[in-house]
Amino acid sequence: MISLQKIYFKKINFWLVSSILISSIVCIPLIVVGSSFFNEVSSYYELLSKTFFYEYVFNTIFLLFGVLILSFFFGVGPAYLVSFFEFPGSKFFTWALILSFAVPAYIYAYSLTAFFEYYGGLFSVFTFFFGPGNYNNYIPRVDSLLGSILSISFSLYIYVYLITRASFIYQSQNLIDAGKIMGFSNYQTLKRIILPSARPGIVVGLSLVAMECISDFGTVSFFNIQTLTTAIYDSWIIFDDIIIAYQLSFFLIFIILIFFIFERISRKKSKFYMPTKGYQTISKIKITGYKAYLASGFCFTLFLFSFVFPLSQMIFWIFKFPESLNFALILELTFNTMTVVILTTGILIMLAFFTNYGMRISNSKILNFITNFSVSGYAIPGVIMAVSLLSFITFVSNIFKINWISYIFVGSLLSLITAYTVRFYSLAINGIKSGYEKLNTNLDDASYLMGYSKFGTFLKVHLPFLKQNLILIGMLISIDILKELPITLILRPFNFDTFATQAYVYATQDMLEYASGPSLFLILFASIFILLSKKNILRGF
Amino acid sequence: MKNLFIFLAAVLQINLGLASEINLYTSRHYASDFDLYKNFTQKTGIKVNVVSGNAKALEKRILAEGKKSNADVFVAADAGNLGSAQAKGIFKKINSKILNQKIPENFRSEYWYGFAKRARVIFYNPEAVSENEARNLNYEDLSNPKYKSKIAIRSSGNIYNQSLVASLIVNNGKSKVENWTKGIVSNMARDPMGNDRAQIIAVAAGKADLAIANSYYIALMLSGKKGPEQKLAANKVKVAFPNQGNRGTHMNISGGGVVKTSPNTNNAIKFLEFLLSEEAQQHIVHNTFEYPMLDSVQPNSLISKFGTSFKQDTDTDVSAYFKNQKEALSLMKKAGWK
Repeated sequence: MISLQKIYFKKINFWLVSSILISSIVCIPLIVVGSSFFNEVSSYYELLSKTFFYEYVFNTIFLLFGVLILSFFFGVGPAYLVSFFEFPGSKFFTWALILSFAVPAYIYAYSLTAFFEYYGGLFSVFTFFFGPGNYNNYIPRVDSLLGSILSISFSLYIYVYLITRASFIYQSQNLIDAGKIMGFSNYQTLKRIILPSARPGIVVGLSLVAMECISDFGTVSFFNIQTLTTAIYDSWIIFDDIIIAYQLSFFLIFIILIFFIFERISRKKSKFYMPTKGYQTISKIKITGYKAYLASGFCFTLFLFSFVFPLSQMIFWIFKFPESLNFALILELTFNTMTVVILTTGILIMLAFFTNYGMRISNSKILNFITNFSVSGYAIPGVIMAVSLLSFITFVSNIFKINWISYIFVGSLLSLITAYTVRFYSLAINGIKSGYEKLNTNLDDASYLMGYSKFGTFLKVHLPFLKQNLILIGMLISIDILKELPITLILRPFNFDTFATQAYVYATQDMLEYASGPSLFLILFASIFILLSKKNILRGF
Repeated sequence: MKNLFIFLAAVLQINLGLASEINLYTSRHYASDFDLYKNFTQKTGIKVNVVSGNAKALEKRILAEGKKSNADVFVAADAGNLGSAQAKGIFKKINSKILNQKIPENFRSEYWYGFAKRARVIFYNPEAVSENEARNLNYEDLSNPKYKSKIAIRSSGNIYNQSLVASLIVNNGKSKVENWTKGIVSNMARDPMGNDRAQIIAVAAGKADLAIANSYYIALMLSGKKGPEQKLAANKVKVAFPNQGNRGTHMNISGGGVVKTSPNTNNAIKFLEFLLSEEAQQHIVHNTFEYPMLDSVQPNSLISKFGTSFKQDTDTDVSAYFKNQKEALSLMKKAGWK
């Protein structure tokens, strides 16, 4: 087997060369950020370390733990309920809960603010039911850290739900039966059998949540919470010190990388728990009475808060401020958003195939290393990604006097798509990789023996096997690009807004009600993507 | 082949610079501004391409684009932002008699031109603060311990506050302002949060007695464009123009300048001149509720009802806001102003 691969490896190096090329583009931001330590910083450094630095760190940690705790309960709770029990609505909630994936945390933040601000949505509700009055004293403050924690948790817990559920349903009934024989109650079964074997899966989900949470920009900046991401943005934007911004990013990336590695290791571990022989699917327990109401109630509340609430807030706004819904604008935004979604998703999937295929047939350690390194692009916050890419392009075109590089890249979709590619490379690579891992390499050898070329094997053997994976990854990338904010905000061309940037621009310009149109359509499109691929999402995550 | 290239360029939004146009980088995203651009295009045939965003982020983008930037005009609210862009060499000097004639000297520099004005005023709860007391307020008084836990103001990262504190440094000196920022921080009714309008609402809801915010927000709320609840809230607060007994109320501008690398300089100048036309000024005052730059144009009645004859601080040059910006920010941060 090895000899066959070696022969092919020596013959053509196309896959390897292209993979290395792609991976090295992905490394640009890491190099730019890392090289900042060789530069002088301004007096801002002293000010920062004397004043707010520890608050930034504290807020980041507090936010992170808040989000992780909530995501754990919001994720594991319903995953446990829908995997092991049958109760009214259990089938519906199994997929309906994923819809919260369609609501970005910053749009959740807009809804929270609109509803809970003084003279806001809740005030209108009170006025409607009880007549005019001063209700502001009864309206709870849901903003700042609490608002951020809620917004981010409700939009991210779904990672924990999906992965935990996946590891639950692959658990063997045999183990659970063994527990039953030993006289375990449902609670004991959960505590001593189900949770321990699902632990790696839960850790994977929580690590994903942690990474996204730490690099969140839209939500914390909207609530004016000082975290490391806003510190990066402030150092760059307000204090004009990009070097400190890069250095802070370096630490942030470092923290995220820890979670990233955590996630990788746990993912490998969770495979260990996947049953091979004697696998028996779980037989769900039918629950009735108050327990069934509790289970349904819990799932319904979660569904209500995470999806129905932000969606209805946007719809309510559109009815309240009909002039905010501009159909020509929505049409244009749809066109723009879909252009970048389709182009980037297409490119990413092709690249991920190239690289994965390259890794598969060349078995090159260098390639493996470079790829593993470059997937860490996911750990780079969008703001830094965009800025470092711009700096790099300008740097290259200035040093080598190649004018056309910046002419073509700057302010065009190319830079936007390049940045997206770097950011979501890991998602694509790992998605396709997990599909490839299920494909035994013997299959390739068989295909070569049957006279298929490399490309033929790729086209005729790999592609059909990976189709399901492909749909899943394509949809996930599309949803992520649909929701992406900081990169688009910084790199978008003239007269070019997406749903996300238009909503953000309105929200920051104190025109929150105008943000409702773009926000609503963003949620709708993301929901459509989710519904189209819900089977793949539930199966393949 | 050529057609294919043009098609690709169009799909990828690569700017070929084919038409008569200007490329505008603006931090104003009012829907009404887009109507204004349409009027400009109708009049001159010059198309207006827009990128909008945070002013300083746009500034960084122009810098990153360097010599290749095809930005023609940079428009920002707040002289602090314009000064920052000027200091980084983003603008080029232009010679326009129209602009120099129409704009008072303290509302422009050699590089950029103000086209609308706003005042940073005090909003107060008439049930908690008497009209007489409010009328005699100076910005300097806001650090007085008698207002402990009574003031709503947004974060120090906000440029409006940076410019206000910068103007205080110009007029009172650094050491006095250092104490002032400490006083303000201990007088805050809550940690800074939300935008200017949120500060006004805090006063309306009885969560603070005084709020510092820009003038046009109250008119926006009163106009009903924000819904009946906001109108209700706006009617509960009153406006006081600070420092009437001395230099006058802190004024700021929306303004713009021509970018150094501008490929369409003539069009860019035409655009700035258009913003100072009577027609454009009328459009601005009735949509954003800012004060006009031209004396011949009246402010919207929703804002002029609070008074048009108040004393504006015309002694402090708005271009000084940027020069003291870093100092201002540093003092605010050191005082613990979030």
